[in-house]
Amino acid sequence: MPEEPTDPCSLEVQLGRLRLANPVLVGSGTFGYAREMEHLVDLGRLGGILPKTVTAEPRIGNAPWRTIETPAGMLNSIGLDNDGIEAFIQHHLPYLSRLAAPVIVSIAGRSRDEFVAMAARLDGLEGVAAIELNISCPNVSGGVDLGTDPRMCEKVVAGCRAACSLPVIAKLTPNVTDIQEIARAATTGGADAISAINTCLGMAVDWRKARPLLGNTLGGLSGPAIKPIALRIVYQIAAAVDTPIIGIGGIANVDDVMEFLVTGATAVQIGTANFYNPTATMTVLDQLPEALSQLGASSIPAIVGTLKT
Amino acid sequence: MTNPLHAAYYADSAVQQRVCVVENVPLARDTFRIRFHCPQIAKRILPGQFVMMRLNAGDDPLLARPLALYDTVLDGDQQPVGLDIVYLVVGKMTGRLAKLSAGSDMEVWGPLGNGFATPPTDHLLMVAGGIGQTPFLALARQYLGQRVYGGSPLRLTPPERVTLCYGARSGVYLAGVEDFEALGVRVRLSTDDGTCGHRGLVTDLLRRELDGAGEGTHVVCCGPEPMMEAVSQITAVAQVPCQVSLETPMACGIGICFSCVAKVRDGQGGWDYQRTCVEGPVFAAERIEW
Repeated sequence: MPEEPTDPCSLEVQLGRLRLANPVLVGSGTFGYAREMEHLVDLGRLGGILPKTVTAEPRIGNAPWRTIETPAGMLNSIGLDNDGIEAFIQHHLPYLSRLAAPVIVSIAGRSRDEFVAMAARLDGLEGVAAIELNISCPNVSGGVDLGTDPRMCEKVVAGCRAACSLPVIAKLTPNVTDIQEIARAATTGGADAISAINTCLGMAVDWRKARPLLGNTLGGLSGPAIKPIALRIVYQIAAAVDTPIIGIGGIANVDDVMEFLVTGATAVQIGTANFYNPTATMTVLDQLPEALSQLGASSIPAIVGTLKT
Repeated sequence: MTNPLHAAYYADSAVQQRVCVVENVPLARDTFRIRFHCPQIAKRILPGQFVMMRLNAGDDPLLARPLALYDTVLDGDQQPVGLDIVYLVVGKMTGRLAKLSAGSDMEVWGPLGNGFATPPTDHLLMVAGGIGQTPFLALARQYLGQRVYGGSPLRLTPPERVTLCYGARSGVYLAGVEDFEALGVRVRLSTDDGTCGHRGLVTDLLRRELDGAGEGTHVVCCGPEPMMEAVSQITAVAQVPCQVSLETPMACGIGICFSCVAKVRDGQGGWDYQRTCVEGPVFAAERIEW
């Protein structure tokens, strides 16, 4: 008889009240509504799935061009193109709720009250494991303001926390002077976890036509180009608060994942890499136990924030 | 119940794999045909569908590029085992692609998109501008009953005529004309500078073809957007059905990024942005809000 594997490495992580089988999630806006990926990815293996951000009302999104490739990255200004929370609940959630992976619904409101109403609407719905508050989308007015003002950040998080029994994750923007101040505000508001970072505001220009390349002029930079910024921010947040961090920003392979974990992230979201390597998450999951063992670790928490500075 | 938000053409038969380049040869100025081995995609892909191709050369260029099927490559037993893709060098990625030699590898995922509808027709009229001829070789071959795509043959009477109206800036950019002629396709050419065929626009050729003989014709069109808009207007006036294959900037090709949207009419006087990769790339011309 073949020998049973002895003490398999555990990839479980705890993000406040949210427990996940592994730390590899997919970032909102980079994975559609998951169904698009069902033939390319074993969705049940993912630590968590964040469908594209939903808003209270349908949004048509921004005019093309909506993405521009830049060196080692891309700019996007999709503009939260979505059919609104009711269409999401009616048409996407039934599929998502059947998946083995926990679904964390990303929501964006134009005001605190809109965030709170959406949190309340999602409370108790089958298939919703947690909510992520997108207070950091650079492509819609209102989003960035809530995520750049510590008092508003705290109010939004606290309001959502009070309005539902779901774990609440605050997704922060890097486009601020003092990220620690915002992270403290999210923590005071009661966030179970902090996702960092959303995209870095940027632009691209065609000098011959003297025009911006994006339909919306400004957009969010993502991809490997922003990984150093994201690591810096995870490092600074980890130094400021004890709230678990979900690292995001240019993560494309297992080395990137390990860098974020040792820097202080408890979990990660893979985003833009899904666009240019749809099976990136599966490769990372295949390789993660071996990478952990290289550090002599058999669990994720054993390496989180072990950075020696 | 049908889900109105569920696109019909998610990557429902797509695979992602590393493929090996078999050859990469020039066809015309700045235009190449790359051939690679990938039986899984080759046996599934349909005319009008595309694949995403990415260089294995680090993070710059970062994204893959959508490129239409030119044709499948068959082995000695007539089984599809590879793909031919014809591309124009326009930027960083295609510039590097042109330098790949046999034995190099690339990352490819597909087949993607809907492909052409294939209604019965007396006259299949393919209108191409620039590099827009590439999706039509396989379509012509399929209509003429000369090859099976996706495992099942088209069960229809082949058209009496299959015509390609093909316009380019200059004769040196015309690529693959002999491939079409070898199938028995009538080829009508135009160039902006008059170096080959009609001096002028490809829409001049289209008008000639439709002049008094539009009935039973089915137009398919691919090329620069102003040309496709003009073709859709001409076919609308002539009351000839027309499909257009759109090219919009795409990051993923599989429906997850929402970049590649086009304005598509909803039939009730309005329009919505739809993803070209999963709702298209082929649309009935009258549905596009240009």
